Amino acid sequence: MRLNKVVALGKKILRDTFTAGHVTFKEMFSRFRQVLENHNRALEIIADMGDKLGGDYIFDINYIRNSYAGLYATLTESLASFDVLTQHEYPRLKDALDRIDKEIRLLVYKNGESAQREFVLPYSALTGSMAHEVGGKNANLAELKNNVVPDIPDAFALTAFAYDEFIRHNKINEMISELEGKDMYPKAASLPQKVSDFSGTPALNKIHTSIVNGSIPSGIEHALDKALSMFRAKYGDKCFLAVRSSAEAEDGEFSFAGQFDTVLNVPLESSAVQEAYKRVIASLFSDKAAAYHQQLGLPVGSVKMAVGCVLMVDAAVSGVIYSTNPNGDAGTMIINSTWGLGTSVVEGQTDADFYVVRKGKEPVIISKRIGEKRSMAVGLEGGGVTQVQTSAAMTGQSSLLEEQALGLAKKAMLIENYFRQPQDIEWAIDRDGKIFILQARPLRIASSVEPEAGCSESLQASNSFVPDVRNILMKARGNVVQKGVGSGRVFMFKHADGLGDFSRGDVLVARNDSSDFIRVMPYASAIITDTGSLTSHMASLCREFKVPAFVNAGAATKLLKHGQEVTVTADDEAMLTVYDGILREVLAHARSGLAAMEDIYEYRKKRYVLRYISPLNLLDPLMERFTPEGCRTIHDILRFIHEKAVMELIDNAMNGLKGQAAMKLELPIPAGIIVVDIGGGLDQTMNCAAGSHSVTFEQVVSMPLRAVLQGMMQPGAWHSGPVSLRVNDFLTSMMRLPDIVSGNDSYAANNVAVVSHEYLNLSLRFGYHFNMIDCYCSETARNNHIYFRFTGGATDMAKRSRRIELISIILKEYGFNTKSKGDLIIGRIANMGRGDMEKILDSIGRLIAYTRQLDAVLHDDTKVERYARNFLGGIYEL
Amino acid sequence: MEDYMNNYRIMIIDDEKIVGDMAKMSLEQEGYAVETFLNGEAALARLLEQKFEVVVTDLKMKGVDGMEVLRTVKQLYPDVKVIMITAFANLDTAIEALRGDVHDFFPKPVKIKELKASIQRALSNS
Repeated sequence: MRLNKVVALGKKILRDTFTAGHVTFKEMFSRFRQVLENHNRALEIIADMGDKLGGDYIFDINYIRNSYAGLYATLTESLASFDVLTQHEYPRLKDALDRIDKEIRLLVYKNGESAQREFVLPYSALTGSMAHEVGGKNANLAELKNNVVPDIPDAFALTAFAYDEFIRHNKINEMISELEGKDMYPKAASLPQKVSDFSGTPALNKIHTSIVNGSIPSGIEHALDKALSMFRAKYGDKCFLAVRSSAEAEDGEFSFAGQFDTVLNVPLESSAVQEAYKRVIASLFSDKAAAYHQQLGLPVGSVKMAVGCVLMVDAAVSGVIYSTNPNGDAGTMIINSTWGLGTSVVEGQTDADFYVVRKGKEPVIISKRIGEKRSMAVGLEGGGVTQVQTSAAMTGQSSLLEEQALGLAKKAMLIENYFRQPQDIEWAIDRDGKIFILQARPLRIASSVEPEAGCSESLQASNSFVPDVRNILMKARGNVVQKGVGSGRVFMFKHADGLGDFSRGDVLVARNDSSDFIRVMPYASAIITDTGSLTSHMASLCREFKVPAFVNAGAATKLLKHGQEVTVTADDEAMLTVYDGILREVLAHARSGLAAMEDIYEYRKKRYVLRYISPLNLLDPLMERFTPEGCRTIHDILRFIHEKAVMELIDNAMNGLKGQAAMKLELPIPAGIIVVDIGGGLDQTMNCAAGSHSVTFEQVVSMPLRAVLQGMMQPGAWHSGPVSLRVNDFLTSMMRLPDIVSGNDSYAANNVAVVSHEYLNLSLRFGYHFNMIDCYCSETARNNHIYFRFTGGATDMAKRSRRIELISIILKEYGFNTKSKGDLIIGRIANMGRGDMEKILDSIGRLIAYTRQLDAVLHDDTKVERYARNFLGGIYEL
Repeated sequence: MEDYMNNYRIMIIDDEKIVGDMAKMSLEQEGYAVETFLNGEAALARLLEQKFEVVVTDLKMKGVDGMEVLRTVKQLYPDVKVIMITAFANLDTAIEALRGDVHDFFPKPVKIKELKASIQRALSNS
């Protein structure tokens, strides 16, 4: 299609009259410049927001509002110019901007009131930016399913709007607002001495019960029934659903890992799903969820709960992947795996298999530890899940085949690359061996806090502190979940019911890890378990709250005694040390580095807005999603506008000829170029009087044209000797363009350069092939781009393709992104300073000259590399 | 935090929670004891029972604003340093504030490093 366009344009040039469209090229060019200027301003605002919200500044909502207002105004202005430029070719871009703007305004002005009015939405209708409507988990998973890994079971979401409706309908909002005034969840400093002293429990229980006994409003019931009957029609009656929580922002900024109920193996019946739904949303008001809220400084009831209904996978094996090893080599990932359903892995209940895989194009398993896996979770036929003993044959046997582990690793890398941050992924493999992804959320990796130059002294001083070895009660190797130091009395965990006696500052010691521990997390100064998993919910929560935690410590429950005062250190080297007594020096050292801005809820909440502003998803203009609909952030919209504005300019540059004085360019080489100056591209002072219609190289003051011409005129590059065409090349050329007489090195004046001082659009036709350069070359690197296109040729396809290959090698060497197909190649490069731009343009000029007849000598593939090297080495002989 | 507290008390007043939260975290890292308040009234009530070495206050607040905080602090404790922060870099108010013996004046967003340095100067001068 592009080729056709070029041919059409080439033909147009030979005629005198053109269809100029509604806008003159000069006008178009000035619009283009407005787009560029706004593009710049917008990117500067985005960069400033990233900077000011990056943790080094104290900011307030006014800053965000003002910045965003500026950004929005800039974008609107840019869009107006863009619409004129493209003659309203992309009306849906405004819709995309409105959609993103709505999300941002919800965050910046209201407090996330959902604008969405559906009770049920299929995953196919969701995008990753709909966390407010359907919760973070649903939004994330749907995003993955629709764009990255289709191997996610079919699902639908019960929205936040449905939650609001349910709460209103059952008058639960009144109970929630009753909670508000009461200081049930005081700040850590004023926590009651014991967990059981929590005054919130009765009020929470009341809400919990009201939800479980509540009635589903008819609107929700109707929408749910519709979704269920569609599932039945598609998958039959025999399948089950996993009904999972998807709280607002869950799995986004805050993990809420394991805080809410998931009901597995729910039959496809309305009543069963309704019960499960109520159970899941009721879990928003459980003790442990309330404790989590408190940790974040969130009022209980301020988070809305959407729910995901996901088709159950009949899992033979399942588990969790950390796509980046949180406690070791970041080039590796961790896979935990067990028989049956994955609940025991995420609850840390079973001694799961553990694989460490080196990331890469071809991942490699570098170590594994096969766990005993004494029990496994399985679905019951009538619905529900039970825990059964693993058969003797399966105990101690690797639950994953090597190729399965590697297959999982590859998917995990895809997901990590897509979200561009480490992921905590739940997966399952069904009885046919098919891999499914069940969940993916950002993985929190504790970054070591670098002390600032001014305050490192105390840290360094305490680094040299070595505690007395006689104090050591135990030292163990295992897995550090969250490094750090804590001290207090040992609380030996026996059963969840006993957690009421846990006191402030206690060190929790248990055989296994459990997400039940969230209840005591505001109180715990450290957590140690004999066995456990780096990938459990408890592990996620410890990292999130920076509670020092260590799993697989071996015999902590035997070596430590209930009530004994200890100081615990979990260090970088996967080493746990427990000292007798409270060692203040050790504590002082450890605390200095722990606190980080990311721990502040308000900060994370306010910064959340950047998610709709800064990330760039539209990376490749040739990708399918490079559409207004594909824009998910302000940055995407800017990128789209910029790309399409450049393309528009390229496609229309030829129209600029109309009404402009075209000047013949006199060069020492017979390139046959006509120049149309749209502003500051030519110095015409010397031949105005003479009324001349030609200019010389000296008069070219357009920076990009001058650079390209310099390259073209480079001694030796413009090969002028005859290159013999073989018979079949000659025949091909006759068949392709029979009206053109070959063998003449002097090109008719059919090559056009549209120039300004900073801009060049150059179309060159040499015999049978076309070169096109579109370039903006100014003092501002961000404005600059080169778009280079080469197509056609007289020789047979194989030779033409070789020339394309050669050009591709050379362009890549200069840093171009290239795309090629057959005898067409497109190269782009942008964001480069003027000096570098000029160097590259000079090289492109040489390349244009050099490649004119090159295809004729590319008899076999080996020549490609050789001539490419020659060219790069400054040798231009053919 | 009590392990390496250096006895200096800092009061932060801003009607937006995030300002207090971020300032508190940053300054506690330096070993200061920090208390935050969301309005001038509560802050002044606290000042009656407890002296703070440095008071960092927002200028524009409903009710008791930053200027009133400044005047009251200077009446109660003439040696206490007041740092003013504001979303509106209003020159007139800034001049008025400086006349009123404000130690320093920052438009928001405030670079944390600069705030820390300013507090350090305030403490070393007193």
